[in-house]
Amino acid sequence: MRAKKEIIIGILIALPSIIAIAIFVYGFIFWTVRVSMSNWNSFSALIRGQYHFVGLRNYIRLFQDDRFITDLWNTLFFTLFFLLGSIALGLILAVLVDTGLKGSQLFQNIYLFPMAVAFVVTGTVWGWIFAPGIIPNDPQGVNLLFKQLGLEKLIWGWYTSTDHIGTFNLALIPVIIAAVWQMSGYTMAMYLAGLRSIPQDIEEAARVDGASSWQVFWRIKFPLLKPITFSALIILGHISLKIFDLVFAMTGSGPNFVTDMPSIYMFELTFRSNRYARGSAIAIIMLLMVAVVIIPYLVSSMKEEVRR
Amino acid sequence: MAEVRLEHVWKIYDNGVEAVKDATFTVEDKEFVVLLGPSGCGKTTTLRMIAGLEEITKGTIYIDGKVVNDVEPKDRDIAMVFQNYALYPHMTVYENMAFGLRLRKFPKAEIDKRVKEAARILGIENLLDRKPRQLSGGQRQRVAVGRAIVRNPKVFLFDEPLSNLDAKLRVQMRAELKKLHHRLEATIVYVTHDQVEAMTMANKIVVIKDGVIQQIGDPHTIYNKPANKFVAGFIGSPPMNFINAKIIRGEGGLWVQTSGFKVKVPKEYEDALADYIDKDVTFGIRPENIYDKMFAYAPTPENTITGMVDVVEPLGSETILHVKVGDDLITAKVDPKTKAQEGQNIDLVLDMERMHVFDPETEKAVI
Repeated sequence: MRAKKEIIIGILIALPSIIAIAIFVYGFIFWTVRVSMSNWNSFSALIRGQYHFVGLRNYIRLFQDDRFITDLWNTLFFTLFFLLGSIALGLILAVLVDTGLKGSQLFQNIYLFPMAVAFVVTGTVWGWIFAPGIIPNDPQGVNLLFKQLGLEKLIWGWYTSTDHIGTFNLALIPVIIAAVWQMSGYTMAMYLAGLRSIPQDIEEAARVDGASSWQVFWRIKFPLLKPITFSALIILGHISLKIFDLVFAMTGSGPNFVTDMPSIYMFELTFRSNRYARGSAIAIIMLLMVAVVIIPYLVSSMKEEVRR
Repeated sequence: MAEVRLEHVWKIYDNGVEAVKDATFTVEDKEFVVLLGPSGCGKTTTLRMIAGLEEITKGTIYIDGKVVNDVEPKDRDIAMVFQNYALYPHMTVYENMAFGLRLRKFPKAEIDKRVKEAARILGIENLLDRKPRQLSGGQRQRVAVGRAIVRNPKVFLFDEPLSNLDAKLRVQMRAELKKLHHRLEATIVYVTHDQVEAMTMANKIVVIKDGVIQQIGDPHTIYNKPANKFVAGFIGSPPMNFINAKIIRGEGGLWVQTSGFKVKVPKEYEDALADYIDKDVTFGIRPENIYDKMFAYAPTPENTITGMVDVVEPLGSETILHVKVGDDLITAKVDPKTKAQEGQNIDLVLDMERMHVFDPETEKAVI
């Protein structure tokens, strides 16, 4: 009797959020899928009552669209270097802070602080820093610094440059730097928690066993940090695949779409040119990209839960 | 040949705490030395200094005749077994045991031979592919020991290795470690707070209290001739009885006079007590040297005392009596067939050959 009552109460408590999530998350995903398969690419289509199903036409058009292809490459390279940079820098900072040298507590807080700043603010500030100014007479930001230091060779167009190596637009470099600056402190915090959870005697056992500090790190500590690295990749990865505010505030699409991202294109299609169907198609593609990253994570953490 | 020698070794932490004070002792080749003391006495710190995990503030440590004060742990040719085993969680049992050999670039075939040999000795051959988290406490313990023995080091260091095992397993591992010591002919330094482990396994015991070595000796000496009141009380269970007493000259020689009884000092101890006549002393006698008069072989009026039984604790193989004699409560370990009943009087016989007397000021043993 009592168990039954508890089940009913449990359901009642969970019900409002279940309903809300069902409508506002899954309902809207479903709605977006529906829109992405319609011809709602102008107001008039809707007004004239010609709103109808067109299958995958919007998706096919997107993959024939040079701008969207550029966006996908940009996302790929941005994600790749952003993850590498944040993980490497976060790990190095965590190891340095973990040595417990004087002042490491202070540095820990300093490194972590950028996380408290909104991406929009980060984007605006780094946008100023990497604004090239007028080359060569009136450089700004870092270019001005280089000029003052007599390092004219390093003066460059930064995010306004259309230089590229293959499909990698070099204009993404300043954006990647800004993103790494913002997130490496967070990665450090994750690694630091991981490092501190490794029992000291394991490290000591390795030292007695004959390991140098270098070997202790690479053969004992780093493998034990694998779950942290995995979590960091997932968390940073899903931020990176959906990145909008940082790029939008810092550079926008850039000349020739060198810093354009799917999210910016989606925003412009949907809210600047009323092509709701095409914009929805981008939204669904982004959702699928993130799902590829998130679902393995959910599965593995669910397995972990079951094992406990 | 692997000898460990500590000469006037001190450990003083940055906050001024003196963890180890002027420790000097030698671990001979193939010797099993136990560092014994209550928790926080500095025994683990001493072991960690031998391992090189803790810096030495003052003094010198020699391993094999060489000063190792500034030698890294990895270059000391030692192996250590930790209290919490400290197995590498991401490696299998095999990899855990092979790790030290791999770092030292042993050939694969040699590593395989040594790991399998150690696994066979320890009876963990069927566990080689498991990860530490899939093992029980006793199995982890064996792997930790295995990791140490594959390296065939000069010295083995054990830091309370049995304290996380349940009582039954502890007894079993105790015997196995002792066997292993004979088999490997290893030099072992072993830290514990358990006097039974020390008594059963050691060739030599170093008793430590508050960072100061109290006594160094073989188990027999430590038990029979404790150097001071601390050692006397720490070794033995139940602990030795300590009773405030006075040495007086009486009929036929010297007597021990307490608040509740008077017993005669054996002739051979009289010289040693000459300076203590008519002075306060601490009289010590172990519970196992006190007998129920009914089962004593040589009761005389000179070694018999009377008291009132306070508590009877039958243990099966023996019975512990807590007996009120004058102002003192005396513990006696007597024959289990004793008729002693709580609240009734009993006659106890003291084996005065095994009496101890301590100076009440210095607590040093007089007898």
